[in-house]
Amino acid sequence: MLQLQFFGLIRLLLKREALELAWTEGDTVQRVLDRVQVQVAVPFIQKLIDDQGTPHPGTIILVNRRNILHLQGLQTPLADGDTLAFFPPGAGG
Amino acid sequence: MSATGAERYARQVLHWGAEKQQQIQNSSLLVAGVGGLGATVSQLLVRAGIGHLYLVDDGVLDWPDLNRQTLYGEKDIGRAKLSLARERLNQINSATRIIELHGRIDDAFQVPAGVDGVADCLDNYRSRFLLYRALAAGTYFVHGGLDGDNGQVLTLLAGQSQPFDEVFAGALQPQGSIPVTPDNVVVIAGLMVNELFNVLWKTPKMLDRCLVVSLADFSMAFLEV
Repeated sequence: MLQLQFFGLIRLLLKREALELAWTEGDTVQRVLDRVQVQVAVPFIQKLIDDQGTPHPGTIILVNRRNILHLQGLQTPLADGDTLAFFPPGAGG
Repeated sequence: MSATGAERYARQVLHWGAEKQQQIQNSSLLVAGVGGLGATVSQLLVRAGIGHLYLVDDGVLDWPDLNRQTLYGEKDIGRAKLSLARERLNQINSATRIIELHGRIDDAFQVPAGVDGVADCLDNYRSRFLLYRALAAGTYFVHGGLDGDNGQVLTLLAGQSQPFDEVFAGALQPQGSIPVTPDNVVVIAGLMVNELFNVLWKTPKMLDRCLVVSLADFSMAFLEV
């Protein structure tokens, strides 16, 4: 299984803080996002990724605590048991 | 008019005891930014009796600052926040030694040696990344940030934790002004100060755990980093 955690505005948008998804051979962050989109029935991918498939500045995606920008981005491969976190941090002070 | 430490700190010592109070008074912190978060963070630290407080900020007070920057008022518009902050903090507690660090946080910025921790009260990620890179290994870094009803607090230990700019890679500054309200600023600043005390007592509670707060539904959740 994959554990998904949603924080901040993403959690408020989806009205849920976590989701468990079955892991499939060959899963990547992108593929999981596509499955989540179907499951939650709330248009949220465009909040995370632009039309070119690039993550928007402002939302960080962590796989097992590591930012995907330091892994393989949306093509980061996922293993059974991985945890994904989606978090748009506040920038103001 | 003056008061003994025993009188001044009597109510908080009832809560955390004399030993922890002494640790606060023996400690030294850097507050980076004395705007929304920094004005309240520095104020609470001084009220609690922090021994040494370094401040860095290069801003000048403007009208949109007054909704949340709790050290300042209308007559201060146009003045440098750094000197204003020092002036106001000294009025609150003259026992704290306050040291102004002039200039911007850039590649050349150096964190004073011997500080027990750094409070990131900045308002943009570029400066935050530069500040983190300026930390000596073993220095605690307490980050705060907010946007509207949401905010976060995170503690990292330089040299041991994942670097701040790796965790927050991609957290670039949005275009234009960020919505910031007085209530959420004080909530996040209060949480930061609570954690700064924990850092000074060597019991940080948010080390490598980002506390994500939303006033929209009064929720708090930890994001492990």
